[in-house]
Amino acid sequence: MLQKGEYIKIVAPSGSGKTSLTQFLYGLRREYNGAIFYDDHNLAGLSAEQIARYRKDHISIVFQDLRLFNDQTVQENIEMKRQLHPFHPPEKIKHMAEALGIGSKLHQACGKCSYGEQQRVAIIRALMQPFDFLLLDEPFSHLDDNNSKKAMQLILEESRTRNAAIIFADLERVDHFPFTRLFHL
Amino acid sequence: MLQAGTNTTSRWFSYIGLGIGVLLLLCAIQVYIDLRQLLHENVARKNGVDFISIAKTVTNETMGQTEKNLFHQADIDEIKSKPFVDDVAPLLANQFRVTLGAGAIIPFSTDMFLETLENDFIDTLPPSFQWQEGQADIPIIFSSDFLEIYNVFAPGQGLPQVSESTASGIPIFITCEGNGIEETFRGHVVAFSDRINSVLVPKAFLDWANKKYGKNNAVAAARLFIKTKDANNADLLNFLDSKSYKVNKDKTKFGRVKQVLQGIFTGMGVFGLLVICLALMLFSFYLQLMLARSKDNLQLLLMLGYSPAWLSKNVLKQYVPVYIIVVISALVATQALQAFFYAYAAGARPGMQWSLHWTVWLAAVLLMSLSLLTNYSMVKKLLYKML
Repeated sequence: MLQKGEYIKIVAPSGSGKTSLTQFLYGLRREYNGAIFYDDHNLAGLSAEQIARYRKDHISIVFQDLRLFNDQTVQENIEMKRQLHPFHPPEKIKHMAEALGIGSKLHQACGKCSYGEQQRVAIIRALMQPFDFLLLDEPFSHLDDNNSKKAMQLILEESRTRNAAIIFADLERVDHFPFTRLFHL
Repeated sequence: MLQAGTNTTSRWFSYIGLGIGVLLLLCAIQVYIDLRQLLHENVARKNGVDFISIAKTVTNETMGQTEKNLFHQADIDEIKSKPFVDDVAPLLANQFRVTLGAGAIIPFSTDMFLETLENDFIDTLPPSFQWQEGQADIPIIFSSDFLEIYNVFAPGQGLPQVSESTASGIPIFITCEGNGIEETFRGHVVAFSDRINSVLVPKAFLDWANKKYGKNNAVAAARLFIKTKDANNADLLNFLDSKSYKVNKDKTKFGRVKQVLQGIFTGMGVFGLLVICLALMLFSFYLQLMLARSKDNLQLLLMLGYSPAWLSKNVLKQYVPVYIIVVISALVATQALQAFFYAYAAGARPGMQWSLHWTVWLAAVLLMSLSLLTNYSMVKKLLYKML
């Protein structure tokens, strides 16, 4: 059982199922044995509207493949998530973007940003909504140490604000993630 | 984000098609209502009923056989028994020779007939239309058509044309001749009738005169007046045709014309509906294409937590203003046509309205709701499939 406030680290080599696990937890896929419950609700039994509410209000994710709207600007990508269930005011986008060094890219189309910049966009996007659980699937794969630390700091700050749990899946241990539980797949 | 810019041509085609279809349908509904109103107004109505006069068709075979050309009580009873007939009254005529003249004022006299009819059937019945034995003056209800005929031939005869008010002031001399007696009475026109083509006198006078100057036989009527709820009733017309009764054509020809016109406008309405269906189908195809092209973006939005219901509403929100504009434009165009029709074609007749009937508004609202609902359902279904 995973509880709010926990920091869970999942370390596993490539192809072992980290991404599959995060997608199961996000309710994106259902081809697993057993059951996943959020509170007392079986994820597999939720309707489309209930799943939408679950993703809007309770769980957030940074996809491994980012899944941004390449034709929309950085600001638009982040705003699209923020406006769904505003946890922060619009000005927070600029504040976070500057904190992660992409403040000047706000009006640039995402598709024209570097992969590292896009990763930071995906991270900020995930932090714009309320959540009880934050799923991170190799979120710093294209960031250098300095930017990884800054991003981690932002993530931890936002999680503490919400008393949320973080489930961090990565290829190897990241030192600056203060996990409370560690799993190897 | 939605690839709405693509395939603009088919989108505009569907808007135009929808506009044309809605316009056709709304016009058809309004014209159908106008037609019913107009054609009802063309019958001499009194208090929501129609009056028509009928006579038996005189053929070569029945010529000279009065018993075949006149209505007897059995004929009257048969007509009265029909569900589409409210009442029947015979026009009873004089059984003696009558001459009408205007004396020295207008040097004109003619053999004439006098008839009498139940008061309920007379359209213009002044209180003065009564007579009792010994009364010197005889009130007359004169047919407007007869006055018109007089005014047509009068100039050719060197006679003055007269207006209704003048004619009412001219004394009319009624000479009754029969049974070896000749007597002249003075009468004057107390009213003109648009409904009854006759010279009507009070029943009391004609009964008395028939007894005095005529044979006073129970003579059948050459004409009957029928009171009915709708002179253009198909059953009534068919019955009269089957009995070879000649009908006052002016009043009932609209029955046939009405059926044809209503058929035409019903067809127009059906065509309008078809056009609307086609336009909606075209728009649905456009929406499906647009959603298919935007599939990746829509799937990502769903993944981020946007609900299918919310997305459906917002996808359609882009098109709601256009639907509203299209339907309102069609309504405005229909209103303009109706106002034009009222002013220039219907001649601002009583009972007609320059504004649209409420059913037209209702149809417009229903059409708009239906098109929005069908598109919303379709979009939602497609979005659910993307999950």
